[in-house]
Amino acid sequence: MNFRKAAFVVLAIALVLAGCGGKQKADTIKVGWFGALTGDQAVWGENEFNTVKMLFEEYNAKGGIEVGGKKYMLEAIGYDNKGDAQEAVNVTNRLVSQDKVVAILGPNASGNAIPIASTLEQAKVPDIATVATNPKVTVQDGKVKPYNFRVCFIDPYQGAVAAGYAFDKLGAKKAAVLYDVSDDYSQGLTEFFVKSFEGKGGKIVAKEGFTAGDKDFRAQLSKIKAAAPDVIFMPYFFTEVALSATQARELGITATFMGGDGWPSPDLFKLGGKAVEGGIFVNHLDYDQPTVQDYKARYKAKYGKETELNGYLVHDAVLMLVDGLQRAGKVDGEALAKAFESTDIQGITGRIKISPTTHNPEGKDAAIIKIVDGQYKFLENYAAQ
Amino acid sequence: MTQFLQQLTNGLSIGSVYALMAVGYSLVYSIMNFSNFAHGGVIMLGAYFGFFGLTTFKLPFAAAFALATAGTALVAIVVERVAYKPLRDRKAPFLYFIISAMGASMFLENFVIATIGPNPKPYPPIIPREPIALGDLALGRLDLIMFIVSAACLTLLVLFIDRTRLGKAIQASAYNMKASALMGINTDSVVILVFALGGFLAGVAGVLYGMKYMVYPTIGAITLKSFIAAVFGGLGSLPGAVLGSVLLGVIETLVAGYLSSQYRDLIAFVILIGVLIVRPTGIMGKAVEDKA
Repeated sequence: MNFRKAAFVVLAIALVLAGCGGKQKADTIKVGWFGALTGDQAVWGENEFNTVKMLFEEYNAKGGIEVGGKKYMLEAIGYDNKGDAQEAVNVTNRLVSQDKVVAILGPNASGNAIPIASTLEQAKVPDIATVATNPKVTVQDGKVKPYNFRVCFIDPYQGAVAAGYAFDKLGAKKAAVLYDVSDDYSQGLTEFFVKSFEGKGGKIVAKEGFTAGDKDFRAQLSKIKAAAPDVIFMPYFFTEVALSATQARELGITATFMGGDGWPSPDLFKLGGKAVEGGIFVNHLDYDQPTVQDYKARYKAKYGKETELNGYLVHDAVLMLVDGLQRAGKVDGEALAKAFESTDIQGITGRIKISPTTHNPEGKDAAIIKIVDGQYKFLENYAAQ
Repeated sequence: MTQFLQQLTNGLSIGSVYALMAVGYSLVYSIMNFSNFAHGGVIMLGAYFGFFGLTTFKLPFAAAFALATAGTALVAIVVERVAYKPLRDRKAPFLYFIISAMGASMFLENFVIATIGPNPKPYPPIIPREPIALGDLALGRLDLIMFIVSAACLTLLVLFIDRTRLGKAIQASAYNMKASALMGINTDSVVILVFALGGFLAGVAGVLYGMKYMVYPTIGAITLKSFIAAVFGGLGSLPGAVLGSVLLGVIETLVAGYLSSQYRDLIAFVILIGVLIVRPTGIMGKAVEDKA
């Protein structure tokens, strides 16, 4: 355990003690946060909690926030769940029963956000997940979970964004899809892409699958080549993207390649080289997009290092929380959850308009990124209609 | 028609990689009567040797190729000495050889994951990726080279086994190890020779595979297919291994291209099982006397 991690644990303990101290200040709103502060994902957890603390300090420095005509200070109570699902339930229990928080921010991982739903429901405390993109975080078996919300869009939505961009902006009329039939992520993106592209009047001329572990895609690509598409959608991860793109160019395919957030990796250029040049993919946001520059600079000034993807999303989770509290007009979890359902704010990562039926931000802006000269080039923000 | 020719070309290219790998299995099987599953691990090491030769040591391609094939021949001999020789000396049942082979295969794979890491690495571009266009047909330069190299290696191997004294010794040992030993053949040396040859071919296959796709620790998984191709063609028969591999490659591609890629393995393997039901020794597998 290095010094920084140790410091966080001490801080967390101190916060618990402060919470148990019984010195309940009437004008403080307690907000929980949890995520990994130790282990593989510690860098993201630390980044999220730092951002929450920074924003709360900024609100408090301006005299706090006004809820129902009364001023409140914001207090963040953070715990380390080590990125573990079991521990996620434990710390959620502690936050709602001991610390009596009004809402919880985080966690970042879908696997940690899914198991806490029943605890939240019992305690009537809403949670805003940050980068948990699995559809099951907020909707299970077609039913929305009443106390789970998120500020990121779900994975398959990227498919709709890619389809819209291909049809409306690139002018593509014929699209082909190559996807991993053994992977949920790839299937979800494919489904949304096809539905959306056909909905706009485009034609899916080929839809070919492969299974995880395949390294040769030429049989499928030859079939795609014969169908002469304008774009080929490749919703899978960078290793297979590099291989399939290379093989497609070897077969003389000239169509534009498109994909989702499985693409970005320093290895993409190493593995794919010239074949991925000109490829266009969808991501949650781009670090170079104008709306995030202010937060990025504030974070750097305070902590002396760059923020990660998580920081941007937890930033918007805080905005959504403050907006929800102000509209609820009282410090109460149930009223807050109700207010969250009609959220419609402009975050730095895009417009967050929560759908009451899915608790996801619908039609949120995504970043469209193009590969130019072995670099990621931000093109624009784009939302699927 | 172009579509069909293109798919056929793809299939032949995949089949020629399988063939190089399958021959290594067949060679060892013909002498030792067990499936050397460590072969996949050796192929993987060959791909890494070639990769480090080209990138870390900045060797010219021919030198990297020589390094990779010499390296894998050596590794194959070491595997034989460490994992199989003690079993041979104790006359262990064949099942134990197979277990030992799987152990060696897992060791090699995990050794690479632990020391080099699990991430795939690309070969530096040696051969231009632009295809040769014949009308609408796209012929990959690398595919042509792979096909030629595979064919050359396999021809040389067959000539070696048919025309040289050492080759005759291999044939004799494949026919009957004990009788060969009684006739004055040093069968222990024959076993080493067979593993060296198998290792050499593994090196060739590894480098070609790495150039065509990429290098990663679980390349061995693909060699499972080549093993199946060897069984299909007739385990122990070199021409059978080649024929089985090419057929498997072509069947796979045609199924993926004309029916559905999801059914590729399903249909390919139903055909294989069908062939084995009719001919349990594979297409070219005959009675023992024709092995090797």
